[in-house]
Amino acid sequence: MIRILIIDDARDRAAWLKASLELAGFDVVGLLSWEQVDEDSIGAASADVIIVDANAPGRDTLEQISLMSNTLEKPVVVLGAQKDQHSIREAMRAGVSAYVAHEIQGEDLSAIIHVAAARFAEHKRLRDELKEAKSQLSERKLVDRAKGILMADHGYSEPDAYKRMRSMAMSKGKRLAEVAEAIIMAKELGA
Amino acid sequence: MTQSKKYPASANFNSGSDAPELKEIKVGFIPLTDCASVVIASLMKFDEKYGIKIIPCKQPSWAAVRDKVVSGELHAAQALYGLVYGVHLGIGGLQKDMAVLMTINNNGQGISLARHLKDKGVTDGTSLARLIKSRDRDYTFAHTFPTGTHAMWLYYWLASYGIDPIADIKTITVPPAQMVMNARVGSMDGFCVGEPWNARGIHDKVSFSVASSQDIWPDHPEKVLGATAEFVAQHPNTARSLVMAMLDAAQFIDTQANRARVAELIASPDYVDAPAEVIAGRFLGNYEDGLGKTWHDQNHIKFFNDGKVPFPYLSDGMWFLTQFKRWGLLKEDPDYLAVAKQINRIELYSQAAAQLNVAVPAEPMRSSTLMDGSVWDGKDPEGYAARFEVYA
Repeated sequence: MIRILIIDDARDRAAWLKASLELAGFDVVGLLSWEQVDEDSIGAASADVIIVDANAPGRDTLEQISLMSNTLEKPVVVLGAQKDQHSIREAMRAGVSAYVAHEIQGEDLSAIIHVAAARFAEHKRLRDELKEAKSQLSERKLVDRAKGILMADHGYSEPDAYKRMRSMAMSKGKRLAEVAEAIIMAKELGA
Repeated sequence: MTQSKKYPASANFNSGSDAPELKEIKVGFIPLTDCASVVIASLMKFDEKYGIKIIPCKQPSWAAVRDKVVSGELHAAQALYGLVYGVHLGIGGLQKDMAVLMTINNNGQGISLARHLKDKGVTDGTSLARLIKSRDRDYTFAHTFPTGTHAMWLYYWLASYGIDPIADIKTITVPPAQMVMNARVGSMDGFCVGEPWNARGIHDKVSFSVASSQDIWPDHPEKVLGATAEFVAQHPNTARSLVMAMLDAAQFIDTQANRARVAELIASPDYVDAPAEVIAGRFLGNYEDGLGKTWHDQNHIKFFNDGKVPFPYLSDGMWFLTQFKRWGLLKEDPDYLAVAKQINRIELYSQAAAQLNVAVPAEPMRSSTLMDGSVWDGKDPEGYAARFEVYA
């Protein structure tokens, strides 16, 4: 079975990738953070494939370790195989880079990179969604606060306060959250 | 003007009919003082003069530069001289035929030691050798890439003091912008890196200087403009335009009156991301070693020097091959001259230079004397590679 080592500072992403690779039938022998990377930790894992984020600054550290072990004829780790240029390119678009031992078959490498690239892309999508959800949450909080101000200062009912804000937003071509923000700001200024 | 007769530069090249095949060129760079010509060619719009648009793309590591140039995600890059040769020979990674379009700069790198070595009485190579030979503990030194120039300067400097860089010390690789931070937390005892990071180490009181790279080899080749052979074959006019824009930038930067302004421009977080005053010092030739000595270095970083810097001398490329052989990165002697001729595009460079009336040296080899008194002129690469007392 192909032994895979994952080096990633994003622990959740690494754990997730590990689960996916194991589901696809690969053996994930270790998860390391970049701080833990040195000759000893890389040697101890004796992995066939190392998966890293292509944009991690620590990659040059790994270059030296893999080249030195090449010179010393320890387990060899090199970047890809020529026939896999396409899959390497695809993986790099997703921000993944794989260092693999010579004897790995092209199909296995493609499968590994495929899983890794898909997981990286999905991780990014989820992170973006989370960001979106967070900003929606803060918008709703703004609207609630503005509603409260209108109710307290002008005696509107909650539905009326909401309606006034909405019609204001529509007539001014603004987003509801922007109107809410203006109301809150006006209140804070003591207007 | 020493216009060469060997390379009939403009014979087959007419700027009217040879429009660039590709207009937008993504050029990778690493945050270092010597990324200046990539940045200046773009900011001063020298690229537009030649019908192209350079998009400077900041990279997190040399490995990323290599991979993206090889995959085509970057069209060209500021690259360590040895990195381009390493890829062409398939050392430690994917093999891909490569091209050096021009040399970007000479000089401007350095070797620094961590402050704690000073407490042990180390201030130079001799005292460092004494400490390392005492074997009181293991010593670790950092460079920036296994086949890179900084590895070769570091190894050469250490070896000339009798320190075997393979057997006597541990070497690690750290990206330039992370160097000072790593030295601060005690990851290493010394490092070799491009400016402004030696200057930054002094400024931050983390390290002190023991040698500049021009102390090791005055006017040594350093970064090159690298691309794949495939890219150059498919886009010869684009490549030529890129060289012309970079030559304009090199002349602009080597006009000393412009340097303070260039330092300000490249200091931005988009480029080197270091204080302009830290960049400007050594960029203008004003050196200090962090131990109290200050001096003006005539051989500070050069980008043009009347066309002598950018010319891709074959002997420069061959030197890196001799050092790869010396340190065991190559098991056998390569065909030194043939490899250099494949990679260094003297013809294309000369065409670009001729368009700008830039002087082209008459000979593709040059003669240099290194710190240990040895002369390198490209004539006997096998003999040169084999004659060092310290080797792997």
